[in-house]
Amino acid sequence: MQKITILNCLSTFIIAGLCLLFGRDAYSLDLGVGDWRAHGFASQGYTYTTGNNFFGNSQKDGSFDFREIGINVMGHVYPNLLIAAQGLYRNAGGSDTDNFRLDFANLDYQLPLNNKSTVGIRLGRIKNPFGLYNDTRDVIWTRPGVTLPQSVYFDALALRQAMISSDGGLIYGRHAIGEHAFNAEFVTANPLDNTGGASEFLTGHANAPGKMTGRPLFVGRAGYQWKEGRFRLLFSIVDLDRDFKSSSPAVSSGSIKTLYPLASAQLNLEKWSFTAEYGQVILERSESLTPDGAAFKNTSESFYVQSEYRFAPAWTALLRFDAFFANIHDRSGKKSAQLTGLPKHNFFAKDITFGLRWEFARNFLVAADYHRIHGTGWLSPTDNPQLFQGSEGDANWDLITVMFSYRF
Amino acid sequence: MRSIEKNFFIKITLFLLLTNAAIASEIVIKVNNHTNSDYSQNTQLNQEQLRRIFFTRQTHWSDGTPIRAFVLPDKHPLHIRFSKEILGVYPYQLRSAWDRMMYSGTGSPPITVNNIEDMRDKIQFTPGAIGYFAE
Repeated sequence: MQKITILNCLSTFIIAGLCLLFGRDAYSLDLGVGDWRAHGFASQGYTYTTGNNFFGNSQKDGSFDFREIGINVMGHVYPNLLIAAQGLYRNAGGSDTDNFRLDFANLDYQLPLNNKSTVGIRLGRIKNPFGLYNDTRDVIWTRPGVTLPQSVYFDALALRQAMISSDGGLIYGRHAIGEHAFNAEFVTANPLDNTGGASEFLTGHANAPGKMTGRPLFVGRAGYQWKEGRFRLLFSIVDLDRDFKSSSPAVSSGSIKTLYPLASAQLNLEKWSFTAEYGQVILERSESLTPDGAAFKNTSESFYVQSEYRFAPAWTALLRFDAFFANIHDRSGKKSAQLTGLPKHNFFAKDITFGLRWEFARNFLVAADYHRIHGTGWLSPTDNPQLFQGSEGDANWDLITVMFSYRF
Repeated sequence: MRSIEKNFFIKITLFLLLTNAAIASEIVIKVNNHTNSDYSQNTQLNQEQLRRIFFTRQTHWSDGTPIRAFVLPDKHPLHIRFSKEILGVYPYQLRSAWDRMMYSGTGSPPITVNNIEDMRDKIQFTPGAIGYFAE
C-alpha cells in the first residue's frame, strides 16, 4: 500500500515537472540538432465500478491506478533514415505492474521507388502493427475513448503483453493509384512474452515458472485506404507459436499456438467516424499443459461497432457496442460453466459505452466514458481473484472511466 | 425598431464582406529555396506531391535537402482551409496520422508553429522549409 502511495506521488511530480518544463503551446520540444525533437504525454485515469474490479480496486471510492506517461525522441540521421525511441511508464492496477519499460527503439529506413510506391524496413524494438489502434494504444490522444474496446484490445488480460511491441524487424510497402492506396507490413520478431504474466496467460497456469522460447512471432497487416484514410479496410494477423520451458517440477513444459486474425473497417466523415473490427483468437495448447491430458483448442470471438461524433470544435461523443465470447461455439457460456464450475458470465462480456471527450486547451484533454456491461469475460484475474474462487462476481455492472491528459 | 433593423443590416453586410475577404484570399505554398535551385518561392507542387510531403512520405527535396514542413495549429482557420482546399483532407485526418507516427516511432510529423509570423520566420530561415500563407 505504501509502495503505491509513493509511486502515486512520484508520478504526480513527474507530471507536474513536465508541465512546468514544457508547459508551452508547443506540440514538440526542438532539441536544436537537425530535426531532432522530443514529445511526451502524461495521462492520469480514474476508474469506478459498481461491481467487479477494473484497473485496481475500483469499487466504493474508485481507483486512481491508471497512469500512462511517455517520452519519445526522434530525428533523421539521413533524410530517409529515422531513429526513434520511447520510454513508457504504465500502471493499470493488477493488469499491468511493469511500470517503466522501453516501448519502442527503432531505425526506420524508407525508400521511395517512384512517385507511387515506397518500401521500407524497420529494425529494433518495434510496435506491432495490428488493427486500427494497437500501434499507439497506450496514448489516449490516439484512442477514441478512455479505454479501447476490450473485446479486441485486451487490456486487463496478460495477452496484451505479447501484443504491444517486439524485438526484431518489419518490412513495409505502399503503392498508390490516385486516391487509392494499398499498404502491407510484415513483422518477424521476438515477442515480449516473458513479461507481465504473458506466459501464465498462454499456458493457462496461474503460476508458471519458466521461459517462453521457440519460433519468432509473425505479425502481418495489409489494407486499402481511400483519400488518406477517409475510408479504410484492414486485415491483420498475429501468429504466435511458442514453446514453454518449465523450470518447476509442478508444471510441465509444452507448446502453445495462438493465431489472432482481425478485420477492420473505418469511415471518416467530416463530423462522424464509423468503425468496426471483428477478430477471433485461436489458441492451442499441447497435451502436457492441460489438466485432463488432452490437447486443448479454443476459438474466441471479439467484435465492436463504434461511432464518433465531433459535434463542436473541441468535443467528441462516442457510442460503442463491444462483445467478447470466450468460446465461439458456446456464446452463452453454458457448456463452459458446466465444464469448469465457474459462472456462465465468466465466458462473455457485452459492453455498451457512451463517451465524451473535450480538448479544453491546446495539448490538454479530459475524457469520460460510461459502460454498461453484462458479463465478466475480459476482466483481470489479478484484480478479481474471487471470480475464479467460487464467487459469482457481478454479472451486470457499470464502469466509469475518466482520464486527464497533457502532452507536448 | 428602424435602428435595430439598420444595425442588423450593417452587421450582415460586414459579415458578408469578411467572409468574402476570407474566401478571396488565396493559399500560397512557400518553400525556402536557399539551397534548392529547382524550387521557386511560389512553388507549383500539385496535391499529390503536397500530400506526400505533409503526410511525411517524402522526406527530402530532389537535390537531397531534408524537407522541413511547418503547419499552423489544428484549429487555425488557415490550417483548416489548407487541409481541406489544398490537401483535400479533414484536419483531424492529418493530426491522427501524425499522432500515430509520433507515438509509434514510424515518422516525424511536421512542426506546428504558433501563428503566421512564426511560420514566416521558419520558412525564411530554415533551409528546405515548406509552409503556407494566405495572400
